[in-house]
Amino acid sequence: MASKFWTQGGSDTEEEETDIEDEIENGGAGETTAAAAGSRYLQTNASDSDDSDGQKRVVRSAKDKRFEEMASTVDQMKNAMKINDWVSLQESFDKINKQLEKVMRVTESDRVPNLYIKCLVMLEDFLAEALANKEAKKKMSSSNHKALNAMKQKLKKNNKQYEELINKYRENPESEEEKFEDEDEDEDEDESGSELEDPSQIAAESSDEDDEGEDMDDDDADGAWEKKLSKKEKLMDREFKKDPSEITWDTVNKKFKEVVAARGRKGTGKFEQVEQLTFLTKVAKTPAQKLEILFSVISAQFDVNPGLSGHMPINVWKKCVQNMLVILDILVQYPNIVVDDMVEPDENETQKGADYDGTIRVWGNLVAFLERIDNEFFKSLQCIDPHTREYVERLRDEPLFLVLAQNVQEYLERIGDLKSAAKVALRRVELVYYKPQEVYDAMRKLAELSEDGEKDGDETKVEETRGTSAFVVTPELVSRKPTFPENSRALMDILVTLIYKSGDERTKARAMLCDIYHHALFDEFSIARDLLLMSHLQDNIQHMDVSTQILFNRAMAQVGLCAFRVGLIAEGHGCLSELYSGGRVKELLAQGVSQSRYHEKTPEQERLERRRQMPYHMHINLELLEAVHLICAMLLEVPNMAANSLDAKRKVISKTFSRLLEVSERQPFTGPPENVRDHVMAATRALCKGDFQKAFDIINSLDVWKLLRNRESVLEMLKAKIKEEALRTYLFTYCSSYDTLGLDQLTRMFDLSDAQIHSIVSKMLVNEELHASWDQPTRCIIFHDVEYSRLQALAFQLTEKLSILAESNERAVEARTGGGGLDLPLRRRDNQEYAAGTAGGGGGRWPDLSYGQGRQGSSGRAAYTGGGRPLALGQASRDRSGQSRGYSGRAGSGMRGSQMDASARMVSLNRGVRG
Amino acid sequence: MATYDLTPRIGPSLDRHLVFPLLEFLQERQLYPDEQILKAKIELLNKTNMVDYAMDIHKSLYHTDDVPQDMVERRVEVVARLKALEDAAAPLVTFLQNPNAVQELRADKQYNLQMLNDRYQIGPDQIEALYQYAKFQFECGNYSGAADYLYQYRALCTNSERSLSALWGKLAAEILMQNWDIALEELNRLKEIIDSKSFSSPLNQVQSRIWLMHWSLFIFFNHDNGRTQIIDLFNQDKYLNAIQTSAPHLLRYLATAFIVNKRRRPQFKEFIKVIQQDQCSYKDPITEFLACVYVNYEFDGAQKKMKECEEVILNDPFLGKRVEEGSFSTVPLKDEFLENARLFIFETYCRIHQRIDMGVLFEKLNLNYEEGERWIVNLIRNSKLDAKIDSETGTVIMEPNQPNVYEQLIDHTKALQGRTYKLVGQLLENAQAQPAR
Repeated sequence: MASKFWTQGGSDTEEEETDIEDEIENGGAGETTAAAAGSRYLQTNASDSDDSDGQKRVVRSAKDKRFEEMASTVDQMKNAMKINDWVSLQESFDKINKQLEKVMRVTESDRVPNLYIKCLVMLEDFLAEALANKEAKKKMSSSNHKALNAMKQKLKKNNKQYEELINKYRENPESEEEKFEDEDEDEDEDESGSELEDPSQIAAESSDEDDEGEDMDDDDADGAWEKKLSKKEKLMDREFKKDPSEITWDTVNKKFKEVVAARGRKGTGKFEQVEQLTFLTKVAKTPAQKLEILFSVISAQFDVNPGLSGHMPINVWKKCVQNMLVILDILVQYPNIVVDDMVEPDENETQKGADYDGTIRVWGNLVAFLERIDNEFFKSLQCIDPHTREYVERLRDEPLFLVLAQNVQEYLERIGDLKSAAKVALRRVELVYYKPQEVYDAMRKLAELSEDGEKDGDETKVEETRGTSAFVVTPELVSRKPTFPENSRALMDILVTLIYKSGDERTKARAMLCDIYHHALFDEFSIARDLLLMSHLQDNIQHMDVSTQILFNRAMAQVGLCAFRVGLIAEGHGCLSELYSGGRVKELLAQGVSQSRYHEKTPEQERLERRRQMPYHMHINLELLEAVHLICAMLLEVPNMAANSLDAKRKVISKTFSRLLEVSERQPFTGPPENVRDHVMAATRALCKGDFQKAFDIINSLDVWKLLRNRESVLEMLKAKIKEEALRTYLFTYCSSYDTLGLDQLTRMFDLSDAQIHSIVSKMLVNEELHASWDQPTRCIIFHDVEYSRLQALAFQLTEKLSILAESNERAVEARTGGGGLDLPLRRRDNQEYAAGTAGGGGGRWPDLSYGQGRQGSSGRAAYTGGGRPLALGQASRDRSGQSRGYSGRAGSGMRGSQMDASARMVSLNRGVRG
Repeated sequence: MATYDLTPRIGPSLDRHLVFPLLEFLQERQLYPDEQILKAKIELLNKTNMVDYAMDIHKSLYHTDDVPQDMVERRVEVVARLKALEDAAAPLVTFLQNPNAVQELRADKQYNLQMLNDRYQIGPDQIEALYQYAKFQFECGNYSGAADYLYQYRALCTNSERSLSALWGKLAAEILMQNWDIALEELNRLKEIIDSKSFSSPLNQVQSRIWLMHWSLFIFFNHDNGRTQIIDLFNQDKYLNAIQTSAPHLLRYLATAFIVNKRRRPQFKEFIKVIQQDQCSYKDPITEFLACVYVNYEFDGAQKKMKECEEVILNDPFLGKRVEEGSFSTVPLKDEFLENARLFIFETYCRIHQRIDMGVLFEKLNLNYEEGERWIVNLIRNSKLDAKIDSETGTVIMEPNQPNVYEQLIDHTKALQGRTYKLVGQLLENAQAQPAR
């Protein structure tokens, strides 16, 4: 045997090898084969970078390993024979067959190793002997007897395949050594061949096929060819070995139907089926037939997926993508072939050859396949540990998918199926939308690089295809390289415009959300906000599916971050506060499972939740999000608290924040801040005293800021905001203690310019937050004393109550009479309608992913305050319905202008209108 | 100064013929080189049938007497087509020119069609020809003819889409003939159709609104009552939404209208919010002025903007309309605008101050001392301002404007009575209606 290599096999890589093999053996039969092939590639790739010298050895050792295993099994069999133990013999036989498969795959040769043949001969002899010995047979235990009979059947069936080899061996058992020499050489060739090629199994396979193809053309009399018979070949019908001219469409079709019929049946190797079908594609007679078979190949490749939660093996995925590309090649080459999944095509539709004029219908659904491939990609990223190299490697496959998607989309657009094209475009959008420009650039570069690397491989492949099947040649018509515009925005615009034009409702909604997210990522707050408001997604997101809701949450979070970055604190808070109100941020963003203390989740729910998790590279940094949310809340809440410190029923802007503040105030001792929350609390304490510098320093010491692209300017903005709020807090807190306050003094205290302070204070004066006025010649603020007497205060309360009474009376009458008659102020009625709407909706703005525990929608409406904060604040303190005033004119009018039907809203966002 | 010129943004939403007055204005203001404008004019006329005019411009642009061949050819073509259309529409036109015959027409369209068909052999083909003829007339620049034919066509037409475009054509013709009253009528008619629910697609609706608003600028800034009506139209939710999404530059006109219109305060506050929100998508000195006064309370900035506004108004084809008075021409809107803007600044300024140095104040208002003092005295005398002048120190002292507690209480309760009466009335009405049922 190949024992001369054994000694060399003791390299360090050996151990890794074993690990992988162990893993493989643990898996199911179908998986084993697939993974074996895959692991081999990983191995070679890995060792490529390690040391190029060791590579040969590695391959050898893998092969040796197999042989070794086989040899040991043969030994076991020998032992079993000695004691006449048919049960264990049967087991060993099954084992050796499995091992044979592995060996074949490892060596990539079509030749069955002599060791195996030898073993078969031995078994055959022993069986004949045992059957002949009737007495011994009678003595056997029943289980042993059964095993013997089973063995007889099996061996008979099995040996048929190798009949010729066995005969040859019987004739000439001595030539063994010499042949092995040959084999090794062959293997070398194979190896070197496959190294050059594209590292995908298909290429390797096709090289095998290549050999065969040539052999087929050769004279049958060539003896060497007989030995090269592959197992795969054996599985095929004999007629395929004949001259190509004898293979007819019928035979291929018959075989194809046979193989497809076996799908899903017990005992059909999933991987084997893929191989059989792949072989059939080579011998397909017409392009349509090849197409049909290719579709089945892809279906079969999807079957390889071990389970619902697991993902498709990566190498199979890659092959799948390649197959899809070949399909596209065919479709592009023969525009008269139509792919359709609606009608069952004629039985003999595929018989029509390449020169057939009319349309040929082939069953299949490109979009469904593409979506499946994308889902598998997504799943694999979910499953792989994000901190490993494997994850990175996997991410590199993204351009591969993008190529495919691009080509499919182009094809669909060409045949005018815009609806499907929109679906495909959405898939592309979903791969791009979360990428900042830097990541996008990196991806673009990677795509260009990998294209260069693949170039040679591609060329050889083309030749191979030509060599393989003289029947149907498919040149690579579609490009194998994605084309990306310079700017990710440009790409998004192209795709999104297509989707808005021709996508269906869900596609459009998702694309819209991606668009919003992307705009927000690029600090285009106003555009993102406009899209969000105009699309009315906030209103009907509750009715959408969970994954869209997650996307919505992500978009909202990103819009919030964006608002913060551009300095719109109130808006930022509006976007983020609801996300944080339930304490289930992780769950809402699908970035991890949050544990709830109050109710246990069933395993089913957990599984569901796990399945919709975002892959790690798409995550929004939670610490940053929390920091932004709390800082926004702090900037709004601290002056608010100062302004209404004596008011018992003051409005709380952020419940989450005030709760946290209460907790931190209750602590007897406060240590140095550790996490984000502590930092913000410490900053809050400083801000309450008007100490802006300290507050800013604490916030500045957070290390999440390094995640921001324009860190300096954001911090600069933050500092200005803190100063402003500190000034406001100071004025609110101490206005009662001063009669006048000089502008210069404030300038000094808060390190702001005169104009800024003047502007801030003026704003407060106009909004009647501060009862004071400027004295211009002396440049100071004069505070007015406006304390009401007790009687007056009571009188005010009375009038307030009266107006509430009147209002409720009106409402009561309105309810009776159906509302038409009373001309209540328009806005108020709107509010009521809207409130009713939210109550009916059952939840707040933020779609609730929970399982039937609807939150109360009381806080639902404040989700978005687009308009001027100071105005809203001022009114809120006086006006009962002030909350609604905070609504920007736009948001309000958007609500009111809802006569347009749902589809229209989407459409009206089309770029055509904006331009 | 051309930075604030909106013509390139307004142009796409106008008819070719409507852009013409704008170009004339620009030529007069000399914002762009003459040559450029003449070229633009030729470009504009190329697609219309006003070939003679295009030839003239060509001559003056290149200072030659030669005319390019294609223009000559086009002229022949246009004349031929005019002839053909005239012939096609002749029966109907002669019918319409006969006053006796026209009297036979009734309000019932079906009847009219029937009658025309039976008695004059005028079928749908002729009516269609009338439309084409009118359109061609319009293209040739014969607006009054086009307007007449279109009016008559509308009376006979049954196709709603055609009728709509006829209406657009009529509106354009009236605008170009400067019949503002009639144009306003047409405008309202068009608006009704656009706002009706049966209008084709929402996208189309928005687009039509944008057009309508652009066209209406001609009317509103020329019609006497236009400045109130522009607010009525533009400030409707649907129209405001359309402005915000597709044509934020229209905010300039709305803002100007608000500033010169004192009686629109409640809507004005809402509008300020819109301005604030759309600052990122559209900005010009006029909107910035409002932002300075009402959002940021930056009075120095506001003053600067006021100066820029003056320029903008003078260079805007709609706002800068000139009125010839004797030997010199004025821009009435400019003066009005400045006066009101000044008042805005002063008003807000007074609200937050107790004592103001007049020197500083007048500087902010772009006034000299004497003039300013007179202005303030006038304000006080007209009891628009609750203040006194301390002439010794040169300051204005605001009377403390603390709202009286009692007044506040009265304010709060005043509406209650009315509301209650209304409520009772409602109830009674309902009670009466019920037995009847």
